[in-house]
Amino acid sequence: MKLLRYIFRNVMRNKLRSLLTVMAIWMCLMLMTFLYGYLASMEAWGKEADKYNRVVVMNKQGFDGLVPEKMLSEVREIKGVVAAVPFSWFGGRYGDGSQFFAQFGTDPEQVFKVWAEYKIPADQLEAFKNDRQACVVDRELAERLGLKIGDRVRLQGTYYNFNLDLKLVGVYDPPETTLSLFYNVKYLDEGLRATAGGRGAGNCGTIFFKGASADIIPKLCSQIDQHYESSETPTNTQTEKAFSQMFVKMQGNIQNFILFIAVFVTISLTLVAANGMAMSMRERTTEIAVLKAIGFQSGRVLTLMLGESVVIASIGGVLGVGAGRGVYALVHWAAPMIVQTSRMPWPVMAWGLVISAAIGLASGIVPAVLAARLSVVDGLRRIV
Amino acid sequence: MSDTNDQPVVVVRELHKEFHRDQLTIPVLIGTNLEVHAGEFLALMGPSGSGKTTLLNLIAGLDRPTDGTIHVAGEDLGSMSESALARWRSRHVGFIFQLYNLIPVLTAFENVELPLLLTHLNRRERADHVRTALEVVGLADRVDHYPRQLSGGQEQRVAIARAIVNDPTLLVADEPTGDLDAKSAREILDLLCRLNKDFGKTIIMVTHDPHAAERAGTLVHLEKGVLVDSPASPATPQSVQA
Repeated sequence: MKLLRYIFRNVMRNKLRSLLTVMAIWMCLMLMTFLYGYLASMEAWGKEADKYNRVVVMNKQGFDGLVPEKMLSEVREIKGVVAAVPFSWFGGRYGDGSQFFAQFGTDPEQVFKVWAEYKIPADQLEAFKNDRQACVVDRELAERLGLKIGDRVRLQGTYYNFNLDLKLVGVYDPPETTLSLFYNVKYLDEGLRATAGGRGAGNCGTIFFKGASADIIPKLCSQIDQHYESSETPTNTQTEKAFSQMFVKMQGNIQNFILFIAVFVTISLTLVAANGMAMSMRERTTEIAVLKAIGFQSGRVLTLMLGESVVIASIGGVLGVGAGRGVYALVHWAAPMIVQTSRMPWPVMAWGLVISAAIGLASGIVPAVLAARLSVVDGLRRIV
Repeated sequence: MSDTNDQPVVVVRELHKEFHRDQLTIPVLIGTNLEVHAGEFLALMGPSGSGKTTLLNLIAGLDRPTDGTIHVAGEDLGSMSESALARWRSRHVGFIFQLYNLIPVLTAFENVELPLLLTHLNRRERADHVRTALEVVGLADRVDHYPRQLSGGQEQRVAIARAIVNDPTLLVADEPTGDLDAKSAREILDLLCRLNKDFGKTIIMVTHDPHAAERAGTLVHLEKGVLVDSPASPATPQSVQA
């Protein structure tokens, strides 16, 4: 503690050099925090979903395969299934198309039993159940679109060649924003029957159900898949967490790619910072020799030098993590389908700070060891 | 000449120091013997390369001899580890350098406080010691000044305050007036004499300046690594046993 003042004074000794080093770390940590926040946000769905015992049944062939309505009735009959709903993607365009969000056809009767953690007022839920053209939206989505109850929501079909003309009757509050809209899947069916000669009608898309407890879910998954194995529509049944990870895997090696970039940026940044520290040490050779002459032991000199590099890197780290958090929030606001959660997981920020301190240690270690091992006589000889 | 105690503070016996440069071995000190008594003010003179700074560094525990022994305040410096030697220096030696070597980012007060950071003194006790040292050197009104805001003579006074703040056994000064104008040099020598006479400090000073050497109570010459009484003949006074 006694030496902190000296450490801080040394940090401020060459302001331009310290500022440039801080800015370099700031920029690097901002980028890394954002990228890792983005990766973490992709996994956040799975982690959150794991708590709610939800299971997804889809056709073994993927999203294009049929999941017939009859299967939904059968799943609902299985012991241990609390509630089950169809979950059919519409992919419509709203307004000028600048605000893209997810729209799912589902069963108003049971959807808030499967997503029991979502809160919706009872009267709004009742209205959703009673009107086939009704829809409900996530609160943040409603705010973004400026929608209020009673508004018409017209979705222009892109995947389907017809439009949905919906009426907003409710706003629900999920624990973490989903930016999604639920409407009655029967309305979608009607559209398909009217425009496509019934092709694609009666298809659930996927089935989401809620299991009674976590321990029976593996058994339920294998039970369902075995039951439909020899049918026309074999299934792939998995937890919601596994389902979410499918989307992460769809991005291929992007995680490894980001990790690869981050590692090399960190190494190059450490070398740049180390160069700054080495220059700083060289300029202070005599000063270090004087400190050792008056009794500062090697360990204390090492602490002084490392303390200096860690302080510089940590200032950059705090600014970088803060800025990365800001960029993350900005991207979430501007492009919610890219960054889907508003809250950056705290471990990402904590790791950012740890990495910045590690950059400080790594960049300072060689100059610090050289300083600690400096011969007093050699150091003083430069000026004596 | 100042009053000195019979007990030697510094005892150097058969001291040899060699430096190695590439394949060359350069003998710098050759069988040097020296005693410095408590309260003595000794000036070491000699031409460049004669080994006076090397001898000063060895006595101050900054370097290791090739052969021979050095006892300071009863302790054998050769038997100490590096860290023990560093601790010993912090307690027993005050350094005064030609170029002052103050830390530019610290104020006069903070520079003088540096050696006390290695002690167990609390903040208030350290402040008391620092103020006393700065008063002794006549810079009580410059505590918050940075080195760049001080003249050369004032910087050297701060360096002297730093050297005496922990009341060391021995003060070593390497050309303390070498970078000063005549007036400032005179003031610094007055201060060193006062520390020696009024406070009984034992001082070893390396100098090229005959006027500075005259102020010391004892004068010894080094020539080609050998202590001599005068530039022409080997030394034999009480303080020099060659």
